[in-house]
Parts: sequence; structure tokens; C-alpha cells
Amino acid sequence: MPIFGKQDVQTAAARAPLMSGFDTDAWELKNAEILHLAFEVVEAPAEWLVPPALHPSIPPYAALSVARFPSTPVGPFMLAQVRLVIRAGIRPRGYLLGAYTDSEKAATELRTRWGYTVGLGTITLQSRHDRVIGTVGRGGQTILNMELENPEQISGSDVTYLDSLHLARVVENGKETSLIVQIDPEYVFHSAQRGKPHLISLQSDAWGANGKLQCTNAMHATFCRCDTDLPKLRFAMDPMVPVTQGSRRLAA
Amino acid sequence: MKFGIFYELSVPRPWDQEAERKVYMNALEQVRLADELGFDQVWAVEHHFLEEYSHCSAPELFLTACAMQTKNIHVGHGIVICVPEFNHPIRIAERAAVLDILSGGRLEFGTGRSATWTELGGFRANPDETKKSWDEFVHCIPKMWMQERFSYEGRYFSMPSRAVLPKPYQKPHPPMWVAVTSPGTELDAGDRGIGSLGVTFTSFAEQEAKVKEYRRRIQNCNPVGGFVNNQVNTVNFLYCHEDSETGTKTGMRMIQYFNYLAAQLDMAKEAVPTKSYPSAGLLPSLRRQASSPGEQAKAPEGIAVGNPSHLISELRKWETCGVDRVNFLLNAAEIIPQEQVLNSLRLFAKEVMPAFADSHARAAAGGGR
Repeated sequence: MPIFGKQDVQTAAARAPLMSGFDTDAWELKNAEILHLAFEVVEAPAEWLVPPALHPSIPPYAALSVARFPSTPVGPFMLAQVRLVIRAGIRPRGYLLGAYTDSEKAATELRTRWGYTVGLGTITLQSRHDRVIGTVGRGGQTILNMELENPEQISGSDVTYLDSLHLARVVENGKETSLIVQIDPEYVFHSAQRGKPHLISLQSDAWGANGKLQCTNAMHATFCRCDTDLPKLRFAMDPMVPVTQGSRRLAA
Repeated sequence: MKFGIFYELSVPRPWDQEAERKVYMNALEQVRLADELGFDQVWAVEHHFLEEYSHCSAPELFLTACAMQTKNIHVGHGIVICVPEFNHPIRIAERAAVLDILSGGRLEFGTGRSATWTELGGFRANPDETKKSWDEFVHCIPKMWMQERFSYEGRYFSMPSRAVLPKPYQKPHPPMWVAVTSPGTELDAGDRGIGSLGVTFTSFAEQEAKVKEYRRRIQNCNPVGGFVNNQVNTVNFLYCHEDSETGTKTGMRMIQYFNYLAAQLDMAKEAVPTKSYPSAGLLPSLRRQASSPGEQAKAPEGIAVGNPSHLISELRKWETCGVDRVNFLLNAAEIIPQEQVLNSLRLFAKEVMPAFADSHARAAAGGGR
């Protein structure tokens, strides 16, 4: 049997958001720009970032993204995420370690409706002729600085964005419990580029990884312009039980 | 139609000192029995770093052991990875020739390029280049075998004039194959005059269409080797038991476990944005059928688990699709006890194989060279 995660879910859930429920409306996110980099990570410490319900992938890797959403129901906002790619049973997913946005309104909605563990930060995304640069700052410190170097055009159909899993808290039957919700957006690509990934700095503690996320081998970098969404929630999982036994459907 | 067996050599955790040895020894015992029972080929994959799923990184050694312990069964590289970071083509040609000599001309030479980031990334190979390096290797290796001396200036390797030795026992060289995973590779096989070694699970309709197009293309092929190998192999699972429910239940437990292990790997398509891997390779079709380990389910169409009459009926459908040979995975992570695996092989040979004896003879007369 593949290795299961060793995360202390109770401790991790203490910083997870309290959701208002599962019945949320979807958001359309038109004309999004997404810079996405992936790096393998050191295996042993990463296992402590994965809940017991999930398997680290072989090898485990981090998915780092900085996105601009110019048109949303709460106005424009930026969103940066650090996820660890795992397996939920047989499905590849990105397990959210931490996120930042530059909009207080967006942060509230993202936390309560989609279970994002998200703080406020200063986020930039710049597309230049020879590189695309994404940065995240918090309290005057840079906590993520990454680049896609030497972009080349590719087809959007060559890009794979994995669905996300978010650890969150919710009140059910009068009792607060921890669970994992799945966020599975769709993408319609307008343009896509790939290039060499370059991670200049990542303060993993600022993303809830507490020194356990150590990026090593570079995998890929993409920059895409697309229409996407934050969909209705469809699945929730018990973080302590293998997902093949602990999943439930929330909506069709 | 003929029958072979196919090994990934999956090793479940915990990996104590005996774990891998037990898997290898069990496999060798199965191969010896398969040889006695009349299975005509044994194939072994080349995989690297695929924890639990496949610990078969040196198939030439395993296949040599198979050859040394058997009399008739052919030994097949299913496949050798034709990517320079994994294997230098000269070394591929040399090792394969030695195996062909030691086996007395029983080598089947399968080629391919790997489909996982776990492996490609591990060797720091560029996924964009693997199809091109495979193409270069399959054009050069038969020339290394057939020409006394060989020289080459290419994109992925170069060499001055040298005699690549030894030469294979089979003349002009062993039958060549390519693993067909990505859509269209069966056409590459046809165009190059090499056998189509199916390693994914497809529907009958899909398989039939692929075989038809392969047969059409190979008529006008430009063979890379000294002869055309026009055979089509496909892969399947095997668990045969007198009792239908026991056969299906046990077989499905193996399949579900195998699929679950396969799904844990980082596929090239998932990990790298590239046109070189339009599908996820071996595993997506497995994932479609996978649910969870231990889950009992009805056997999917075409899968050879159940009682002998069910197996005959399912295998007849593959025969109708134009498949020349079905190669079976016999176990996954030792989930089926060894004695049951051996009994399954015995029962298959006794009850199922005779039903295909005529077509076996026809294939032997008309297939291959």
C-alpha cells in the first residue's frame, strides 16, 4: 500500500478557515492570468504536510502559482498559492498549504465559501518579453519570488492544472469538524507559454509548511491566459480516513 | 491466438530483506511453469524508481535468468527504454545480443520511451525528446546487429566505425516491437515494420480500429530492420478459477490493487506541458477502471478473470479484433498467494489454451517474419 500522509491534522486545522457551509454559488473568473511553477520536494519532511487520508505522489512536488483575476464578483484581485501535489486515492490533486490575496473582500469569500487558508499580502505578476515574474510579500518581506524564463508559446491543451484540496473547518450538526473540500475549476485557455522555472526564494514557513517544504528538482513553468471559475463544491473528505472510504458528494 | 506472460514485478511495502527476492523468485517459478505449460513468451518491463508498482529496472538480468531456466518460452524486453539518459544504444544492442545468444535465439526485442516523470525526471531526460531518440535508436540498433562494423553521426549519439559485438543468435536479428501507449504509436510501429506491443487496456472497438490501421500501414512500411514483424500483442490480467465468482473476485482484487499503485506515479503528461505525451501513457486507461484497493467489482469487458468458459469467450473477442497474442499480468504486489497463481496458470493451460490451439497453429504458420 502506498505511503499515507503523516500530517497532524488537528494542529493544521487550527489555522484552517471556518467555512459558512457547502452551498456556495460559483464564480466566473474571466481573463485570468496564471503563472505556475512546479518543483520536486524532499520526500520525508513533505509526508508531514499531507493528511492521513492522502498519499504523497511519487515523487512529491510543489505547485506554486501567482494569478491575477481582473473580473470577479468582488472586483479584481490577485491570488498566490503553494500546494503540494498528492494522490487522493487514484486522483492527482494539489493540497493547499497556504495562499495570499491582495483583497480583503476576496479573502473573506475565499475562506468562508471555498475553504482557502488565505492571508493578505502584496502580490505582483509581470509578463516581460524574456520572463514572467511572480512575487508575494508580507509585512515587508518577500515570501515568494519566482520566474518563468524564456517563454515559448504552446497550446493550452498541453497544460494540466490539477484540482485543489483545502483543509477547512465547518460546523455540522452543531459540532465543528475538520474536513477537506475539493475545488475543481474548469479552464478555457486563450494563450499558454512554457519556460524554464526559476525559484528565487520561497519562505515555506509563511505558507504553513514549517520548514517541511524544501524545493529541489525543477519540473516546469507555465504562464496562461484563460477563463476559469471557482465552482460549486462537489466533494468533501475526512482528512483522517483514506479517501476511498471517507469521501462524500456534496452537489451534482 | 498465442499467450504470453508479462511482468512489472511489483513489490509491496514493507521492503524487508526478503521482499524483492520473494517477488523475483515467485516470478521465476511462474515462468518455469508457463514454459512447461506452453505459454510462448515472457515479457519484462524496464521501469525505474516506481515504488511498489515496478521493481524491474534490470530486465535483461531477469530475462537471462528466465532463459536459463526454460527451454522454449521466448524472452521479451517489454521494453528497453530508448532514451540516451537511460541507455546508450550500443549497450542496448550488446546486452540484447548476449541475451539472444544465451537464450538460444529466443529474444523478442521491445522498445519504448517511458511515460512517467518519476523516471524521466529521475534520469533528467527531456520529455520533448524521447520520441525522437526512440526513432533514432530503432533505426540504428538493427544496423549495429546486421553490419559487421557500424558508424553513425546523429542527434542523440554518434560513434566512429566499430564492430558492435556480439551479434544476435537470430539472423538477421530478433523480432522488434514497440510499446504502444500514446495514440498513434501503433502507426509508428506499422510504418517501421515492427510489432505492436500493446501495453494499455483498450476497448474492443478501439483495439480493432488500431489493428486495422496498423495492418494497413505495415503493408507499405519502410522497415528499420532486416525483416518485418507484423504481429500485434496486447496485455491483460489473468486469474482463472473453476468457480466463476472466486475467479472474478480474486482477479478484480489484483486489478484494483495494481491500478491503485499505478495511479501514485507522476505521469509525464501531468508533470510537464509537452506535446510529446498526448495521453498519460500506460496509466490513464488503468485509472479509468481503478477505484480502490480491495474493492470488489464486476470484471470489465475483455479482462481475463473468472472461470475458463468466461475467459474463452472474452479472449475470442480479442482474437476477432485481430490480436495475435495476449500477454497476461499474473499478480500485483503478491496480493494473490503464489500457489493460487500457479493453479490459475495450470487451469488456463488445461481448459482455455486448447480452445485456441487451431488459431495458435495458424498464427505460428503465418505470423512473424
